[in-house]
Amino acid sequence: MNIQPGNKSIIEIFKATKIYTPDVVALEDISLSVPSGEMLFVTGMSGAGKTTLLKLICGMEHPDKGLVEVAGKNLTRIKDKEIPRLRQQIGMAYQDFKLLPDRTVAQNIAMAMEVSYQNIRTIKKRVKELLQKLRLEHKHDALAGKLSRGEQQRVAIARSIANSPSLILADEPTGNLDSRTTRLVMDLFEQCNTAGATVIIATHDEAIYKNSIHRVLELYGGHILTQADRSISPLNNMP
Amino acid sequence: MKFISTILLQTKRNLQKTWPTQFMTLLTVSLSVLIFSFFFLIYMNMIKAGENLKDDLRLTIYLEDEPVLEMQMQLVRKITNFSPVDEIRFTSREDAFKRLAAQLGDNVDVLDDLDPSFLPPSIEVYPKKNLNTLAQIQRFSEYLATLPGAIKVQYGQEWVERFNYFTKLLRIIVFLSGFLLIMTTTFMVAYTIRLAVVARQAELEILRLLGATNGYIRTPFLIEGFLQGLLGSSLGLLALFFLYSWIEIRFTGPGILQLIDFTFFSPNMIGIIIAVSILLCTGGGFSSLRKFMRI
Repeated sequence: MNIQPGNKSIIEIFKATKIYTPDVVALEDISLSVPSGEMLFVTGMSGAGKTTLLKLICGMEHPDKGLVEVAGKNLTRIKDKEIPRLRQQIGMAYQDFKLLPDRTVAQNIAMAMEVSYQNIRTIKKRVKELLQKLRLEHKHDALAGKLSRGEQQRVAIARSIANSPSLILADEPTGNLDSRTTRLVMDLFEQCNTAGATVIIATHDEAIYKNSIHRVLELYGGHILTQADRSISPLNNMP
Repeated sequence: MKFISTILLQTKRNLQKTWPTQFMTLLTVSLSVLIFSFFFLIYMNMIKAGENLKDDLRLTIYLEDEPVLEMQMQLVRKITNFSPVDEIRFTSREDAFKRLAAQLGDNVDVLDDLDPSFLPPSIEVYPKKNLNTLAQIQRFSEYLATLPGAIKVQYGQEWVERFNYFTKLLRIIVFLSGFLLIMTTTFMVAYTIRLAVVARQAELEILRLLGATNGYIRTPFLIEGFLQGLLGSSLGLLALFFLYSWIEIRFTGPGILQLIDFTFFSPNMIGIIIAVSILLCTGGGFSSLRKFMRI
């Protein structure tokens, strides 16, 4: 399975509903199409369903109803052995980072490339390059558990793009960053997008998408808000 | 090549992280192999000694009177009809006396006052090697006792029976220690890998999310099992070899070891023990992975 940039649509979601037990509706009747190579912002308040949407796309969760297709593959019916191949082509920066605290920064980033059996020399070079771009080169051998949250967030971002994936999913990637580092991270995502990757960023940080030329999708209570809905969105009515 | 180097790197990391548990498992496997192979070595040598004893097996039928030629022919026919034999030798009273005199050597004078015909005539039967069990030898001996003119049949019953019971006992010990080996290696390795899986649950979860294949996750654990089997059995056998060499040096001279020509395992047998240990350890690891790791 290959996620090729330039495909008509890399993600197709049709009437997807996700309900967490006992009866928490995270997403309801969501339909979404993301063309390959697009950069998309998913916004909304906490609990709006941003993280669930990303989890559906990367196959961590399955919809209770509806269909989720990534690169033409129906994720509810995908064969077990096809999942690793798909995930290798999806870079996900998790909100809770999912780093190994007892491994070094370099080892944490390298993991993403090791699972796809990349050459050790290539891995080392790529790790150094990413650490430089994210201004973390001095933390190469530091344990991930000893870093500040902002630094851990950058390591998680570096790991998500290390394998040069075709689809990058970032869940609140700038939540713990100052404005300067936020710009640095966003530039990196822009670079990946320019290189052909589809990038979906879930965020409630208005500053990073306000003046963006990219599409912004707003979620509220598990629904996608339409243009008409948006005028009554609580986000827009905030002081 | 990339697969191998990545997997080896991952295995190295795992071993560095869990070496105290791995070391204890290694010792357990070594000890199990040592216990099993110790009894197995003795058993193998006893079996070999048994084979040698069978070569020397001779049943002596003491007769009331010396059989005439026609009677001898009839006896031979009766014996060979019951069981095939290598050789049948008739010993007259006179020959028996001469043999005893030769055996006495310098003390032959003790026979001076005795009648040269005081020893009974006998038939010595050398059975073929198809008499494998004590029961078969006993049955043959009972039959020989029913031959016309037979007074008594001797074949070193006591020695053969003791040897037979000892071999049986050893066989039970070998089976028990073999069972112990299977249980300890399989369960210890399975348990160690289970602990490693539980300890690394978070890491395995992240690896899965990053797209690690089953092979990537499982192979390092299987390599650990393979190494446990290889190193554990090699250490156990090495310890046994040192023990064997020590016994050989310490107990040289006339004794049981000389009698049964004690030897160490052949290279083939060493290979089989190591291969079985590897199989058990890797199998234990595999079963543990199937049970405790949902990929």
